[in-house]
Amino acid sequence: MEYTDVAVIGAGLLGCFAARALTALDIRVTVLEAREDVCTGISRANTAIVYTGCDTKPGTLKTELCVRANRDFGRLCRELDVRFSRCGSLMAAFGPRAEAVLRKKLDQGRENGVPGLELLGPGEARTMEPGLSRDVTLALYAPGTGTVDPWELCIAAYENARANGADFRFSQEVRRMARTESGFLLETTDNTYAARVVVNCAGLRADAVRELTERPTVRIFPTAADYLVLDDTVSGFVKHIIFHEPEEKGKGLTLVPTVDGALLAGPTERPRDTAPDWATAREGLEELQALCAQVVPGLPLEETIRSFASLRPNPYAVREEQGQWVREGRSISSFTVLEENGLISLIGVKTPGLTCAAALGEYVSDMAARVLGQPGRNPRFDPSRRGIVRAHDLSEADRAALIRRCPDYGQIVCRCRDVTLGEIKEAIRRGAVTLEGVKRRTGAGMGRCQGGRCMEPILELLAEAQGVPPWRVTGDGGAAMVRGELRHGRV
Amino acid sequence: MEEFDLLVIGGGAAGMAASLAAARRGQRVLLAEREARLGGILNQCLHSGFGGGLTGPAYARQLIDRVNASAVCVRTGTDVLRIFPDRTALLSSRTGLERVEFQKCILASGCRERSVWSLPVAGSRPAGVFTAGTAQKLMNLGGYDIGDGVVIMGSGDVGQIMARQLAQAGKRVVAIIEQRDQLGGLPRNRRDCVEAYRIPVLLQCTVDEILGAGRIRGVMVRHLPTGRRWELPCGTLLTALGLIPDRALCRELLEDGALPEWLRLCGNCDYVHDMVDSVVREAAQTAF
Repeated sequence: MEYTDVAVIGAGLLGCFAARALTALDIRVTVLEAREDVCTGISRANTAIVYTGCDTKPGTLKTELCVRANRDFGRLCRELDVRFSRCGSLMAAFGPRAEAVLRKKLDQGRENGVPGLELLGPGEARTMEPGLSRDVTLALYAPGTGTVDPWELCIAAYENARANGADFRFSQEVRRMARTESGFLLETTDNTYAARVVVNCAGLRADAVRELTERPTVRIFPTAADYLVLDDTVSGFVKHIIFHEPEEKGKGLTLVPTVDGALLAGPTERPRDTAPDWATAREGLEELQALCAQVVPGLPLEETIRSFASLRPNPYAVREEQGQWVREGRSISSFTVLEENGLISLIGVKTPGLTCAAALGEYVSDMAARVLGQPGRNPRFDPSRRGIVRAHDLSEADRAALIRRCPDYGQIVCRCRDVTLGEIKEAIRRGAVTLEGVKRRTGAGMGRCQGGRCMEPILELLAEAQGVPPWRVTGDGGAAMVRGELRHGRV
Repeated sequence: MEEFDLLVIGGGAAGMAASLAAARRGQRVLLAEREARLGGILNQCLHSGFGGGLTGPAYARQLIDRVNASAVCVRTGTDVLRIFPDRTALLSSRTGLERVEFQKCILASGCRERSVWSLPVAGSRPAGVFTAGTAQKLMNLGGYDIGDGVVIMGSGDVGQIMARQLAQAGKRVVAIIEQRDQLGGLPRNRRDCVEAYRIPVLLQCTVDEILGAGRIRGVMVRHLPTGRRWELPCGTLLTALGLIPDRALCRELLEDGALPEWLRLCGNCDYVHDMVDSVVREAAQTAF
């Protein structure tokens, strides 16, 4: 059995930021993650947007955190050495229903204290975003909207929390939890932990984890969404984040020019059971293609390099009915943060969860501190972290100097995204154990060939680091990429 | 800064042939190859049929020997990161970052394979899905077993050649799935690779969905004329969906869609060729 002050369950964005905030206190923090790495659940697939706070009702926790988090996002990203592009957003209307929505958001945003909001006529909107359809009738410009790479942000929070003393344990799925006199006893796959406080950031399983000790009150009913990714060859085609507010009921389209120059189109919304979890649905992908053609007619869709699916963790209040827990009313729109005698649960945190991850981390850390009787500050806490050097982003002189210091940075492994051997090795040194882990840390395999050329060398580097043959290395913790050795061996 | 009459990017058949032709005319040539050795795609093509009856590496060997005996300056393990409009290029290798100056440039960087993930194919993203060329490289150069129960989506030459190689390695090729009403590729491949090994072919069909969590367990096949769909179990999916000339390096140099007069494309980077002999013949003529 191992003892800790706070056990954080789940190492997604919320778990990693909760751990980071908790390490500012002079306590022991242990993070229990079911999978092999951080950022493998709902944090890994989303729209990558840093929202301003004009989409939610005034006076709510969600709005308060979102407005503050947006304002502080630049500082957070400088501290954590994470790329952040405050590219601004245009919410585009194509008719009276959507125009009314825009006007309401303008008023709501101003009431919420969102700076710089402005309504633009079609001419102005198309001057700012020439690719936008001629049919646009009104646009709401929000200069504060931005985009961040959710993987990069999550990994940065993880590394910073770890550097400040948080103990991350992987492949530790919490199976049982019991209350004791001094807190909680948690049984994982192969270990037992005693903790005074539990912070439940288990994502899709947060309701199930809570119900290990509590009676059901809130449950997650996920919906699924599809996305398309366009190559960085389309970089510059769309300069702002575009929110298409549809005239009919429906999800509309969001376009995001990402920090690495690609373009993200999505999300759709469909019932979870239309496809297996994390699998895309054909109808969804075709719907996105049709919406793109409508909103930005010249967008070269043939530059699509990838599609993916996400899960949206919608929380609902539930009540018991004939032995079954059934959901009541509409999905709860506020952030659901419950504190129940030392068990703090974040249940069904969705948009703007990415924006608010750091703020929510501090929020639950403050809650935990109250339960623990306000422990002192960690005197060695350092909020800053340095990311893996991206050779591609360096000046010619800096890149040359880096190669002189370490020749691995002169050898390109992923040609589509210009990722060097030095970066791959550093990602592995920092904890990547799968191809996806390397991809999330470096971008290798994310370009137009989708890992066709760099998969093999990365597989071999991972194998070497883990002391296993390459046919034991997996893409994402599931099955191995190759099956074994051929009899003739290597040519 | 080192100066060259000609910079050739890519040390496959096209780049080597172009370099040799220019060197013969007395030009000072720099040939930059990103891999550790010359040869390009030929290195992974262990089947015969190149230049008559040679294997890919044997065919490459002939060119490599001539390059080595020539005055061509060869840098292997060297990536060209960028070509600038002032006729300089930025090269990266383990020995450092270097700018070279040139009068003319030939881009012979070959082509890349279209990835299945660029299509609106539904489903999960399991292990066991490879492009045919990646599978060929994994097997022939890496010595890896990529799996059994193989479905091949698309029927270009690379797909058919891989079908034969897998059959020869004792693997079960479940089917080749082709959208058109006949197989693509060269007639000789149809005969020697598909018919000779009795590889099942599903014409006018496509893959609608990829099934399986962890490892691929099957594909959903759709018959295009009737819309009928069925699940075809498999353990591996190879995709041969076509080759795209790899011209990323010259994207920034286009002026109204045209290349500057000092830059030429050569080999599969120009257009995708069926035969290596025609690549070599044209490359020798492309040299300025």
